[in-house]
Amino acid sequence: MTTDVELIEQLKNIAIFSGLSDEALAAIAQHASKRKVAAGDVLMRKGDPGDSLFLIHEGWLKIVTVDSKGDELILNKCGPGEAIGEMALLDRGPRSAGAVALEDGEVLELSRATFENILDHRPDVALGIIRKYSTRLRFATTYIERAIDWAQKIAEGDYSFIDQSQSLVNAAGDDDSKAAQLLSAFFTMVRKVKEREDTLKRQLEKLTFEIDQTRRKQEFEEITSTEFYSNLKEQAKTLRLKRVQK
Amino acid sequence: MSSTGKIVSIHSFRGGTGKSNTTANLAAQVALAGKRVGVVDTDIQSPGIHVLFGLDESKMGKTMNDFLHDKATIREIGLPIHELVGGAEGLSKLKNAHIWLFPSSIKGRDISQILKEGIDFNKLNEGLQTTITEFDLDYLFIDTHPGLNEETLLSIATSDILIIILRPDNQDLQGTSVTVDIARSLDVPNLLLMVNKALPKYDPVEIKKGIEEQFGAPVAGVLPLSFDIADNASSDLFSLRYPDHPWSQELRKVARAVLSLE
Repeated sequence: MTTDVELIEQLKNIAIFSGLSDEALAAIAQHASKRKVAAGDVLMRKGDPGDSLFLIHEGWLKIVTVDSKGDELILNKCGPGEAIGEMALLDRGPRSAGAVALEDGEVLELSRATFENILDHRPDVALGIIRKYSTRLRFATTYIERAIDWAQKIAEGDYSFIDQSQSLVNAAGDDDSKAAQLLSAFFTMVRKVKEREDTLKRQLEKLTFEIDQTRRKQEFEEITSTEFYSNLKEQAKTLRLKRVQK
Repeated sequence: MSSTGKIVSIHSFRGGTGKSNTTANLAAQVALAGKRVGVVDTDIQSPGIHVLFGLDESKMGKTMNDFLHDKATIREIGLPIHELVGGAEGLSKLKNAHIWLFPSSIKGRDISQILKEGIDFNKLNEGLQTTITEFDLDYLFIDTHPGLNEETLLSIATSDILIIILRPDNQDLQGTSVTVDIARSLDVPNLLLMVNKALPKYDPVEIKKGIEEQFGAPVAGVLPLSFDIADNASSDLFSLRYPDHPWSQELRKVARAVLSLE
């Protein structure tokens, strides 16, 4: 059995709840209901109106959609501690994918009705969620603005931002938001595009090698005219003769 | 009977060619080919090759500096990398290999002492031969300091194989031309060139051809400039971690060239 403390930790990992106090999370946990699932049970169907969030307790689920031929396509697998369908608590949009139990297990279900009931009595919960979303939106906006800036630069053939942006992209890697992932994917794409562009240019640019022979001779003489060097050359010669004999 | 292990010096005329990174990767590849390998870090002005092998300063006791000043035996200095590597994906492949690092001192005081007193050729050579014999090495790689100062000339003079790393630009080419002349003047038996950080806009075949024509020496590999190597930073050995990467494939060509020299 999962203890309340564990449950609160798991709820905290759900993005929309991550800004809430432990006490508020405990209140939410109290109103959620446990539900056994058997292998093959369909928890949600793509396109159905979404009306609850599921937190997986035990067992694994597959997240599925259908491809253009109508065959099932597995998008992801989710296991204990992971939540699915969280957006259904806030909006009334249809499910973006289906979820089917891969094995017998147990999930915790929180319906939108129950959730809205909590919100009626707990303005702090509503405020916590709004704050969290506001922060995420702010970050997302920054990443998107950056992507727009880069897109304009690439259009002008200016790739100079690649060198300076690595650390920003690395930092974004710690953020699990889709906007951060977009920025990272965008950055990788730009590099690949640049590499391909360079490959094409290769045919056009011929490298010319030029050595200043006077300078070469002069520098060689500067080094070899010292006493240190003549000693070294002598010693090295003796050494090589010895090595050959061995 | 003295050991037949070969001394391989890695040199570049200017800094920033990726010399230490190449030395570490090359030594690792040769070790993976079943050879017993040592790596000496004589780049005493900027030690750092230990980091590439995942070792920190705390693991280092005595150093080459102590050995060259008769304050330690070579046995006390060699660090068995194959025993010390941790869980890094690439480095852990060395667990069944035989590769030792002979670090130079990282302490500023020891470095300035070496620079002030200098090292005698016979002493260095004796030291390297002892290292080869004591550890029964097939190859002893030396990561030299950029430029042509006295320490570097000593390393070149004692080498069986000299690998010069250069970027395909005229400044590196100019400096390399002097090093090539010096290597010939010192009768180094084998000279290999390696191009690193080649911009993708140039054809590697053209680069190889152009440089070989200039120097009359073989270019063993033309390694591309890659952001992936910068990303990897120094947390793992790149060619072990990403063996299929173009940089790693080209590096293995250089390793094969070293292995093919008699």
